[in-house]
Amino acid sequence: MRYIIGIDVGGTNTNACLLVIDQGGQGHVLKMAKAPTRHEDLFTSTRQALAEISDEISSADCRDLEIHLSTTLITNAIVEGKGDPVATIITTGPGLAPEAMGFAFPVSLVGGVIDHRGRETAPLVMDEVRSALKAAVDQGARAVAVVGKFSPRNPGHELAIEDLIQQEFPGLYPPTLGHRLSGRLNFPRRVNTCYLNAKVARLQREFIDRIRDTLLWELAALSARTGQEAQKTRLRVFLLKADGGTIEMEKAVNRPVETILSGPAASVMGALALTEPSESCVVVLDIGGTTTDIAVLVGGKPLAEKDGAVVGGFKTLVPAFFSRSIGLGGDSTVSYQEGRIKIGPTRAGTAAALGGDALTPTDAIVLTEQGSFGDYQRALTVLENFSRNTGGSPRELAEEIHQAFCEQAVAAINGIFADLNSCPVYTVSEVLVPRGLKPEKIIGLGGPAAFYIPRIAHLLGVPYEVLPYYEGANAVGAAASRPTAAITLRADTALGKVTIPELDQVTDLARPALFDRRKAEQLALESARGYAEKIGAYYPEAQFEVDEEEVFNMVRGFYTVGKLFTMKAQVKPDVIKVVPK
Amino acid sequence: MDTERCTIPQLGLVFFPAFDWAISPDHPEREERLLYTRDQLVEEGLLDLPGVMEFRPKVATENDLKRTHICIPSIPAVLTKAHLIAAGGCITAAKAVMEQKVKKAFALLRPPGHHAMRLVHGARGFCTINNEAILIEYIRKHYGSHLKIAVVDTDAHHADGSQDIFYNDPGVLHISLHQDGRTLYPGTGNLDELGGPGAYGLTLNIPLPPGSGDRELLFVTKNLVLPVLEEFQPDLVINGAGQDNHYSDPLTHMQVTAQGYAELNKLLQPDLVVLEGGYAIEGALPYVNVAIILALLGMDYSRVLEPDGQRDLVPPPPGALELVKKEVAYLRGVWAKRREIDLDKIFGTAPYYRRERRIYYDTDDILEHQVDQIKRCNKCSGYRVIYSRAQKRVAREISVAVVHLPWHVCADCRAEAESAYERLHPDGGLDRVYLQDVEKEVFLEKQ
Repeated sequence: MRYIIGIDVGGTNTNACLLVIDQGGQGHVLKMAKAPTRHEDLFTSTRQALAEISDEISSADCRDLEIHLSTTLITNAIVEGKGDPVATIITTGPGLAPEAMGFAFPVSLVGGVIDHRGRETAPLVMDEVRSALKAAVDQGARAVAVVGKFSPRNPGHELAIEDLIQQEFPGLYPPTLGHRLSGRLNFPRRVNTCYLNAKVARLQREFIDRIRDTLLWELAALSARTGQEAQKTRLRVFLLKADGGTIEMEKAVNRPVETILSGPAASVMGALALTEPSESCVVVLDIGGTTTDIAVLVGGKPLAEKDGAVVGGFKTLVPAFFSRSIGLGGDSTVSYQEGRIKIGPTRAGTAAALGGDALTPTDAIVLTEQGSFGDYQRALTVLENFSRNTGGSPRELAEEIHQAFCEQAVAAINGIFADLNSCPVYTVSEVLVPRGLKPEKIIGLGGPAAFYIPRIAHLLGVPYEVLPYYEGANAVGAAASRPTAAITLRADTALGKVTIPELDQVTDLARPALFDRRKAEQLALESARGYAEKIGAYYPEAQFEVDEEEVFNMVRGFYTVGKLFTMKAQVKPDVIKVVPK
Repeated sequence: MDTERCTIPQLGLVFFPAFDWAISPDHPEREERLLYTRDQLVEEGLLDLPGVMEFRPKVATENDLKRTHICIPSIPAVLTKAHLIAAGGCITAAKAVMEQKVKKAFALLRPPGHHAMRLVHGARGFCTINNEAILIEYIRKHYGSHLKIAVVDTDAHHADGSQDIFYNDPGVLHISLHQDGRTLYPGTGNLDELGGPGAYGLTLNIPLPPGSGDRELLFVTKNLVLPVLEEFQPDLVINGAGQDNHYSDPLTHMQVTAQGYAELNKLLQPDLVVLEGGYAIEGALPYVNVAIILALLGMDYSRVLEPDGQRDLVPPPPGALELVKKEVAYLRGVWAKRREIDLDKIFGTAPYYRRERRIYYDTDDILEHQVDQIKRCNKCSGYRVIYSRAQKRVAREISVAVVHLPWHVCADCRAEAESAYERLHPDGGLDRVYLQDVEKEVFLEKQ
């Protein structure tokens, strides 16, 4: 049998889910588990959740086991500014001055220019590269990012710098190179992406080493219980990415930045795995202890950030679902300001009814639900105390808290839709979002979802659905995710060259005049497959597609001198459908 | 939620490269024209700058067009969806500025418009409808008909379409800097084209000798354009930003650099910038547009240099600056005395000023013969009747009459214009008769 364990490390809880995949490729939930998240030690929370789940496997016939891990490790590291000191080497050419690009970290500009068609208009100045690296090492740099303007059109300068680092600065090897992380244009975002990647690479490597050791140990324990030899179980570990795809853990060592914002992605994947696709515009609300994450599905597909994720104030090129997080959750603060109840945005701590001491929205739920969970008396006491300021009975106060919570959620949703409709910033499957989007349905998950979602939907005047396994549906989403990978093909028949930056490929076309759209598509699809295999994103059922395509005739002096093809080919994003019991 | 929105962004950008529209596959005005510019803007990350906000272009409506143009025989017969989006994109940019969503806006789009005149039989100079004129009429309709607007057109070709539309319009100051018409399409834009009897001195043309560069362009800007603007006190300044003055442009003979364009915009500080021509699509446009955007943002543009190292830049011919200085001196004289000049000496004493013109549509190969009659009126700028005959090669000639009522038309002119429209019959040689009443937004047609 094939099993998948999904683990989502959230702000408050770490959820885990064990899926078994049937012959038809559908998933069935065997067990859900949760453990409190320890921010100072994500590793232990992860291991604890894993241990609870793996008990269930002992009775099963386990041939094939996958673990899909969504952690906040890299996101937190970036937000908190953790990681290694980085030397960031850039080449630019005509345009914005590097000082105007607003980098939050020092960059070293070296000579060398590539233009928009990938032609070298000024050679790389190796001596400047060498002295920039020397200076950076002297100042304590332990990692290096190398990014050239227009490097996806011609990675030559970046590759030459990589060679130099390998030979003369082996301590900084391997560097993060711009063209390998993204084939898309946007130099400042590429620089940010590579800087972050280089900065957190060691953290990711250490985390992965520990996970690997633990898993080998768990696996040994598992085989001891089942009486099987460990080798018979094929174990693969994947990390979840911001675009809802997975990447094989060992390959993620060089691309840690892609694992940012996997939490919101896990919620969206949970919604996709556990519901039938809908043509309407759906809001996915993941109401957690600390925050509520809001995402949007249009025509059954998640909205994506047009250029890439924004994390810790850094604009990146990391493909990501569109998602906004607000400080509103079951453990948020409750305050009374100018005659109104306000929830959040900070976390108050554990609810009084659950053993803490602060008043939280969860206490209000415990009171209204008459103690179906939590300590009714403690909830009553904390609400009574608070109602001395606000007036009214504890029961009325609880209602006011519910109302404030739902109104704040609705205000956030309305704000998001106002933004979506005014700026051409977001795409659905690379097609611009149509104007006039409005919420037509809500899908809810997260601990307090069952309580709040019907009320929020009522305020918005739309139908709703609370996901099965809603408390840990993000872990189901992590388990149900499949790998994603994409390449960019750029063929310039006038220059006679094909470039696939993600694969370090620059090839001369043998017969440029005969290179046509069909050949370009074929090459793009083959390359996407090759790339998926290289980065551990290949799986037998994977389908490949060209999902962006531009073809231009190049005319110079009234003659057609060639064609320009730009294509993005990818593993078609997919999800394992999970059938609720 | 979004703190960047709390202050008004410096620059709104409306980008519409019309990647699926071309006049013909190998025409300079083809799909590829803004491709490299798009690549450069995206790679520079300009849209991520905190001072920049991107807007989606709206689609221009029928009335947006009819306020400016008479499309003959009909709107769908002469234009495409791409034209409507380019014009609509200019309106979007104008709205963003007028409603203070942004301080300035740049409509970086194609197809261009400044050769399109009030009457449109087809395309001329790659233009079918006049994007700038359409946005100006939109502004006057929606934000106040008394708004004073200045257009500074810096395309290498004379902005004869915009000049035609605003020739007799006292609300619009139209200044065009261009390569001397004796050496370049469309051939007009001489020093003595100064506006009609209702707006004399509000059309200014500065023909620049071929080979003029940054020095000549900036001299005119500092010594003519800025002082004239200072006195006119416009509510809005629009730059018709043609980029074919660039030294590498294949269609013209000018020597302006990306730095020159940036300097021009820094001096001019236009509220709205609308792209016009510019056909050095790889070597100039990507850099000129980045330079303009940085100048409008008030950012450092000193690093925006052409990657060819200005290899093909030629110094201006001897005497170019001297000639330009004389032109500037002449026009400043006209400008200073524009209110004292005896208009009867220029336009005659007849109750109607009448001019006859032949207009050639190079793009569509149409020859038009036009008679334009402007009522001499001292209460308003005067209503007009325009008779036009046009013929495409050996096709049947089409003959029309247009009665045009300008903004702030006086009661007498209105009565006379309305009866003129009644009187004109689509027979006896006229295929169609049109009435264009911008103020009441009444657009009639009979055939």
